[in-house]
Amino acid sequence: MKTARTQVNLMNVPIRPLFSSLRRNPTGAVLVALQVAITLAVMINAAWIVAQRLEKLERPTGIDTRDTFEIGIVGSSRKFNVAQAESEDLAYLRGLPGVAAATVVNGILLTENGGDTDLSRDPGTNGPVVGANFLTVDDQALNTLDVPLIAGRNFRADEIRPLTKGKQTPPSEVIVTQSLARTLFPHGSALGRIIYNGDSNPLTVIGITRDFMGPQVGAPAYNTVLLPTMPGQAGLYALLVRTRPGMRDTVMREAKQHIGTAHRFGITGFSTPLAKAERQMHAGDRNTAILLTTVTALMLAVCCLGVFGLTTFNVGSRRRQIGTRRALGASKRDIVAHFMMEGALILSGGAFLGSILALVVGNWLTVHYALPRLDLVYLLGGVLALWIVGLLAAWQPARRAADVPPSVATRTV
Amino acid sequence: MLRMQDISKIYRTDLIETHALRELSLEVKAGEFVSVSGPSGSGKSTFLNIAGLLETFDTGLYELDGREVSGLSDDARSRIRNEKIGFIFQGFNLIPDLDLFDNIDVPLRYRRMKADERRKRIESALELVGLASRTKHLPSQLSGGQQQRVAIARAIAGDPALILADEPTGNLDSLMARQIMDLLEKINAMGTTIVLVTHDPELARRAQRNIHIVDGVVIDSPPYQSRFTQFPPRTTAGAAAE
Amino acid sequence: MLGYYIQLALRSFRRTPGLTALMAGAIAFGIAACIVTLTVYHTMSGNPIWWKNNSLYAVTMDSWDPNQSYDAAHPKLAPDMLTYRDATYLYGSNIPERKMLLSYLVGVLSGTPGLTRPVPVNTQATTADFFRMFDVPFEYGGPWSAAADRGPEPVIVLSRRENGKLFGGADSVGRTILWNRLRFRVVGVLDHWNPQPRFYDLTPAGGGSFAKSAAAFVPFEWGPTLRIWPSGTMSCWGPQTIDTYQKLLGSDCVWITMWVQLRTSAERARFLDFMNAYWAEQRAAGRFGRPRNNHLWQVSQWLRIHHVVTNDSRLLLRLAFAFLAVCLINTVGVLLAKFLRGASLMGIRRALGASRRQIFEQHLVEVALLSLAGSALGLALGALGLRGVHAMYAHSGNAYGAVAHFDPLGVLWALALAALSTVLAGLYPAWRIGRVSPVVYLKSQ
Repeated sequence: MKTARTQVNLMNVPIRPLFSSLRRNPTGAVLVALQVAITLAVMINAAWIVAQRLEKLERPTGIDTRDTFEIGIVGSSRKFNVAQAESEDLAYLRGLPGVAAATVVNGILLTENGGDTDLSRDPGTNGPVVGANFLTVDDQALNTLDVPLIAGRNFRADEIRPLTKGKQTPPSEVIVTQSLARTLFPHGSALGRIIYNGDSNPLTVIGITRDFMGPQVGAPAYNTVLLPTMPGQAGLYALLVRTRPGMRDTVMREAKQHIGTAHRFGITGFSTPLAKAERQMHAGDRNTAILLTTVTALMLAVCCLGVFGLTTFNVGSRRRQIGTRRALGASKRDIVAHFMMEGALILSGGAFLGSILALVVGNWLTVHYALPRLDLVYLLGGVLALWIVGLLAAWQPARRAADVPPSVATRTV
Repeated sequence: MLRMQDISKIYRTDLIETHALRELSLEVKAGEFVSVSGPSGSGKSTFLNIAGLLETFDTGLYELDGREVSGLSDDARSRIRNEKIGFIFQGFNLIPDLDLFDNIDVPLRYRRMKADERRKRIESALELVGLASRTKHLPSQLSGGQQQRVAIARAIAGDPALILADEPTGNLDSLMARQIMDLLEKINAMGTTIVLVTHDPELARRAQRNIHIVDGVVIDSPPYQSRFTQFPPRTTAGAAAE
Repeated sequence: MLGYYIQLALRSFRRTPGLTALMAGAIAFGIAACIVTLTVYHTMSGNPIWWKNNSLYAVTMDSWDPNQSYDAAHPKLAPDMLTYRDATYLYGSNIPERKMLLSYLVGVLSGTPGLTRPVPVNTQATTADFFRMFDVPFEYGGPWSAAADRGPEPVIVLSRRENGKLFGGADSVGRTILWNRLRFRVVGVLDHWNPQPRFYDLTPAGGGSFAKSAAAFVPFEWGPTLRIWPSGTMSCWGPQTIDTYQKLLGSDCVWITMWVQLRTSAERARFLDFMNAYWAEQRAAGRFGRPRNNHLWQVSQWLRIHHVVTNDSRLLLRLAFAFLAVCLINTVGVLLAKFLRGASLMGIRRALGASRRQIFEQHLVEVALLSLAGSALGLALGALGLRGVHAMYAHSGNAYGAVAHFDPLGVLWALALAALSTVLAGLYPAWRIGRVSPVVYLKSQ
């Protein structure tokens, strides 16, 4: 039988018989719609969460992590002369051909090992305070971190307060990151302004740097204050070293070996490339994003198998009906359209339910996990994506339905 | 063997009520070969389904092999079906992916018979219908007549007291149909009661007695009964030969 | 009959291998996801010393800044550590059956044949009761005496791992090693002991909730005696600059974890009274500007208030359940379709004497077999998934990786759950097919 019709659109598919066929055996359709709903709700929210994580992962450290490492030094006895060890180590490192710059520091960047403090525009402890990472460093810190100044100047060598008898001397100049400057002084430049740390001496802001991530013990990542003080009063300090490109591992090995035996009462502790620290810092978010994506993809696959299975079953159990329709003049395209329409109907039902569910889940996540409110673009995108993927899953069995010959109608058993 | 008194069965849908059986009463004695005939839609099939305990009825009494069955649980009804009744259908209703042996095995399994007992019964049933050599064949490898003989073997393997046959020759040509009828008569001669539902007067005539159902009630004075008094029952020798 | 049902189920699987694989696969993936997340969750939320949940208590006391709470996110919680003054005072009480203090010091070990040069080790400065309160197992020797706490005597307990490095795993009790260039006598070597989470110390600088236990243990007083700065987490507030050890000891900096073991609720009440009396006395003297917040935390409460189970793992657990739900709904759908397609054959079986119950049982056996296959496959996939997660976290050097090991109890939970839910999912299709009237299908031929 050849039909003269060349063009079929879905409008040619009568909707009422579709509903009645769904009504006759509703359980299968309802089950698939349920799968679609749950999958959609999960998919949309998972995508939203992953997007937040990716955003977090993409936040720049602001530091050249590839060529930078840190080595920790601890005293093995109270006789350890920290100040002397520091200057020896810095002199040694700065003399190495592979080293671009080196400084001393009181923590490990990016690793939650370090110190944080509260800063305020007012003296005393009553005014509003801003949390900040604090780094006690020498004048080579900005050079080593490779972080440019936006305003003001760097510490001069003569401003660096030395350790005297193992005790730190409080400084009166500080350099702050742009974020910290803006938080402390939302209006106008922070340069030259005075800030306080509790009842400390007034601290003058002499420089503002581009943002970079500090150790982040308790303070926001980009809020950091640099103090021109040699660290090490607890008998431990760290060396921050930036090497020439590609020389990191070689220099780190060499430096560790040398420094490990250089001091009479001091030994090396940890040694960490900052790239590794960065990786660890991101591990949680990255792994969660991977797991969320994997499970959601599997879920979508199972859901599509559900749509595929239902359509296959419907086609298989209605061969006779299909044959009759064909015998009555339906073209192959009409048959395909019929089953696609049926699939679309179920998908739409599931998508409707799923959208509501997605909003409920999204709201729940906002309340319990402090996730930002779900962006409706994700909702629409998710519905559309699932709808298309679901229809693709229905396509193959619908094509097979079209191959049912009209003669099936007249065949007995 | 089978006694029905004032059996009524009404099918209800949203729109209509169909009175399939209206206070139908009839009796079949042990060892009889009875045909039940009637036009399409007369209630024959409903009668057969009720007689075979496949369906329940709304009012009336039904005594099968001396036992009232109306209040029985599904388990008890299933056991009676399994032990006392053998079905033969127009469409054979063999299970397509089981071979002949396993097809006949089905009712015996539900009777929890020992394996060697089942084997003995299956082999003798196949012997009786003349298909002893084909135990490993699948139903699709057999002709219609052969399939129906397997169905008969399945019906008699459990040694039922009553065989209910629903248009057993409806899908067969006349030669095969005759062979099936010969086989049924042979089984009847061995003592099994047979109730044959058919709309074919030719077949109905071969039974010892005919019950005619129209509009859900038995029409009295069965038209063929008088003839039976004139003709002796046919012998069934050689019926199983192909 | 069971044998027959199994035979029929296998036959049914052979008839539709694709569908069967699809269903078993769906179940397997759902179960695998649950095994992975449940295992991680279970280990995280587990109380490693549940048998002492009603006698061990972490001690907290709010000594923090009157103007702001210790943790802005949880303003009702006091600092999770104590100041030196408060800790030593509370430790002086003889109400508790046992009591212990804990902080960390960097200790440099040397002077044994196993060491070519000094190595720094994370040393826990603690008191003798630590080992008894937390049922720490010893391979050799045992805890030091109470007298050694007071001295302090130069005694040291090594972890099994450290003893392996220093003495090749031999019984080193009685041997002498140098700890920060001082002669210390080994009194005990721990057996394997790595409670996860490390409930007794959850501080970040101690390595966080899932860090390993320390490598060496010395009496608490060695820190103050040698004036070694604590290397664990320390938080300070107030204007004072802490630049000498003496200032540290008198300061409001918190850096000491304290646990007590109390036998009865009466004892617990008495100890709390003791804390309150001390608090009132100190407040009268001008300390403790914040509202009274003296608290004794059970281990389970302690783990909960510290959010040892991360939000992410909670989230992933929920995701896994949603995934399992989808897999199961999928299975219900496919089973239903498959069973209904075989309805005409069931009509025949019913006519031949199978009861509704027998048809139901037959299908339930099929579901159970399917569930069994899916669970077995899921177990294998789950083991693989756990290995993957482990590798993923190990690669990024996260302590959390320790959590993703194949934990038999977690797996058992997931499997029981999965088997149960699959059979439950199969109940409906099996029931549906059992209800099908035989007549309809006998005729429709």
